[in-house]
Amino acid sequence: MSKEGSLVPTIRSEVRYVRIVTATVLLVLSVSCSSRDRVDGFIHYRLNHNPTTLDPAMIVDVTGGAIAAKLFNGLVRLDDQYRVIPDIAERWEISADGRIYTFHLKRNVFFYNTHLVTSLDFKYSFKRILTPGGRSPNGWVLDKIAGARDFMDGRAEDIAGLSAPDRYTLRIELEEPFSPFLYLLTMTAAYVVSKEAVEQAGSDFSVNPVGTGPFQLKEWRHNDRVILKRNDTYFGGLPTLAGIVYRIIPEDLTAVTQFELGNLDVLSVPASDYRRFLNSAEWKDLIVSVPGINTYYLGFNCSRPPFDDPLVRRAISQALDRKKILETYYEKRGVLARGPVPDVLRAWSLHATTAYDPAAAAETIRKTGLRDHTINFYITSDQEVTDIAEIIQYFLRLVGLNVSIKQLEWSSYKAALNKGEADMFWISWWADYPDPENFLFPLFHSSNHGASGNRTWYTNPKVDALVEKGQKSQDRAEQNLAYGEAEELIVHDAPWVPFWHKSDVTVRQSTIKNFRAYPIYSMDKGLEVSF
Amino acid sequence: MKIFILRRFVLLLPLLLGITFMTFSLTKALPGDPVYNIVGERSTPEVIEKIRREVGADKSILRQYAGYLALLLQGEFGRSLFTNRKVADDILMKFPNTMRLAFAAMLLAAPIGVFFGFISAKNRGRLTDKTITMISVSAISLPVFWSGLLLMLLFSLRLRLLPPSGTGGIPYLILPALTLSLPAIATLVRVTRVTVIDIMDMPFIRTARAKGITGTSVNLVHIFKNALIPVITVIGLEFGSYLNGAVLTETIFGWDGIGRYAMEGIVKRDYPVIMGSILIGTLVFVLMNLIVDIIYHYADPRVRLHGTDR
Repeated sequence: MSKEGSLVPTIRSEVRYVRIVTATVLLVLSVSCSSRDRVDGFIHYRLNHNPTTLDPAMIVDVTGGAIAAKLFNGLVRLDDQYRVIPDIAERWEISADGRIYTFHLKRNVFFYNTHLVTSLDFKYSFKRILTPGGRSPNGWVLDKIAGARDFMDGRAEDIAGLSAPDRYTLRIELEEPFSPFLYLLTMTAAYVVSKEAVEQAGSDFSVNPVGTGPFQLKEWRHNDRVILKRNDTYFGGLPTLAGIVYRIIPEDLTAVTQFELGNLDVLSVPASDYRRFLNSAEWKDLIVSVPGINTYYLGFNCSRPPFDDPLVRRAISQALDRKKILETYYEKRGVLARGPVPDVLRAWSLHATTAYDPAAAAETIRKTGLRDHTINFYITSDQEVTDIAEIIQYFLRLVGLNVSIKQLEWSSYKAALNKGEADMFWISWWADYPDPENFLFPLFHSSNHGASGNRTWYTNPKVDALVEKGQKSQDRAEQNLAYGEAEELIVHDAPWVPFWHKSDVTVRQSTIKNFRAYPIYSMDKGLEVSF
Repeated sequence: MKIFILRRFVLLLPLLLGITFMTFSLTKALPGDPVYNIVGERSTPEVIEKIRREVGADKSILRQYAGYLALLLQGEFGRSLFTNRKVADDILMKFPNTMRLAFAAMLLAAPIGVFFGFISAKNRGRLTDKTITMISVSAISLPVFWSGLLLMLLFSLRLRLLPPSGTGGIPYLILPALTLSLPAIATLVRVTRVTVIDIMDMPFIRTARAKGITGTSVNLVHIFKNALIPVITVIGLEFGSYLNGAVLTETIFGWDGIGRYAMEGIVKRDYPVIMGSILIGTLVFVLMNLIVDIIYHYADPRVRLHGTDR
């Protein structure tokens, strides 16, 4: 015992030592460390994940697109009213038949490497997207150009409809009239890149992008931060910011902590903190909410029973109290969808609706002999989606249907949907450009079954014809008439249950001025916002 | 010793070959298709086929595997299907971060875990022992995502001492290292306690005491040295797993390590990234085990390394 007891003074002295070390460490930390982590004059945003690439030809994600919008320019861009305005093109003419677009370029636009932008650079950039053997997944943005398909398939050396009559004129001839073509040119894939820089960097152009935008890439610490600095030679007026820091923070709570510490200037409010920010005296006046140009929906596989029957699809629609789900579980973080097209893009009155009527739904289920039928409902592994799926499962049980929820991670989920394996699925669609066509064509036209967007395998020749008519028409009123009629038919046929258009809810620091949240990532060039 | 190390290295080759085959088969057997992630939300079947050809996904599995082995023989891991960056470059960039985090976590875990395990054993059955046992059992049970967030709230948001996330110098390292070390500290406390108690009951300790050797000498030379083997095993295993990346800790604290990299690869079905990460992970684990075996030998000369000339 006495020998064991002899350890006690040793322990005491060690404990004392630990205390001294701890105190010293804390002292050193408080002097040398701080939770502040920002660059003066730079605005700090959050990204959920590392951008895949910053090469406009390859970008398919919003994260990459939002950064590319600051680094590059196209012929045209969108203003805050969703109108197409000049970007590198000074002006343009469209032929009476809507097939030929002639763009006249500004003569003072330079790449960072001081190389002047000419129409040949646009021709090179567009050809790069369509090059056979190239890996760009964005060919669909430019494949309306005459001869593009022949070029993509290797049947032609050049794109017949794309020419540069002089250094500052670009002529684009389309295969056939396509009314949203100018909108397509506002997209990331239509940005101009420097041929010299692409050839010099090779595959590494994705991490060394050279563009014309208001900012240029200063540093990209993968999975940590992307830093852009102001391009002092920008042709469109200097940004007020010295630069932008995108912090890559996958975890929501970490991002909220960074925001509350002042290390982030703007934060897209995570669902888990929505109520807290909204009720907070400190933050509630700094919240900006804009209607999103998107639609969240429950899709049916219309190609096979039981959802090949519109009666059954409508019954499901009647069985779900979407308004209640939006107002309770979803905390009104969106606007109830009346049809697939977001309200902000709808320039017509929509008459067809499906009201909540569980009794009628139950009656239809009974009549069609589907009582106790089991539906395979595919969802992603996201927690919010899981919660919504369980609510849907509850509502459908009330009308006599069983729902078997199959949860898959995103890659498997997309593969399953593209192959038409699901009976029913939950997904959303976000606009690439602000035109009803961007919802009606990819999601409902029968040429787009599967991976092209129409994952319900919905087929209605009348809808196809109306959407095509809208695409070809040069008259906005005529387009609206066709699109309106198509949407009526779609809502009546119910290949989806449209749920809501999710709002973009953002909170900013009080020091940030002129901040605007844009529902389409390409709209934000980072020019207005300031301290 | 040299022969032992050489034999282990030679055995590493068939092991790595087996790992490449298993990993390749398993990743290809996973549901999902990376091409759908590459093409985005809107694509035509022609573009999907074109990209499938470009990334070589149209070839038979065996041809793809042979192609991958040919790449490995050239010292390459291929390029990411998404970023088109060389996987080897990415791993070289991320692995040092993971090493830093693993070393920092182990620097915290080893002394603290062993110290409190020793104290607990020496006070067997007393309040000190019970308190340490209770805390260590709780710490083993604590999920990392919870303890990590709590530490972040305390040290970053409340005390404003440390940055909550990011990859950088020592201030950025402290919170993830502390979070990562907590379960290891607890495990080491438990293992050290049990081992020390076992050794304390052995006849040679009684003999040592009977010979009049002082308490500190018995503690350090006789008990502690003999308790080292299981402790080294745990440290080796924990360290090996840290070097393979700590996905949750790296995600919570935005630390750019190999775990997060591998996880992103798995989620996107980025096959070259998955393969590269797993191969490096295997290599690290095997090397860690080799190092642990060598340390065993020095910690306890009775442990003979098979193949030595001693």
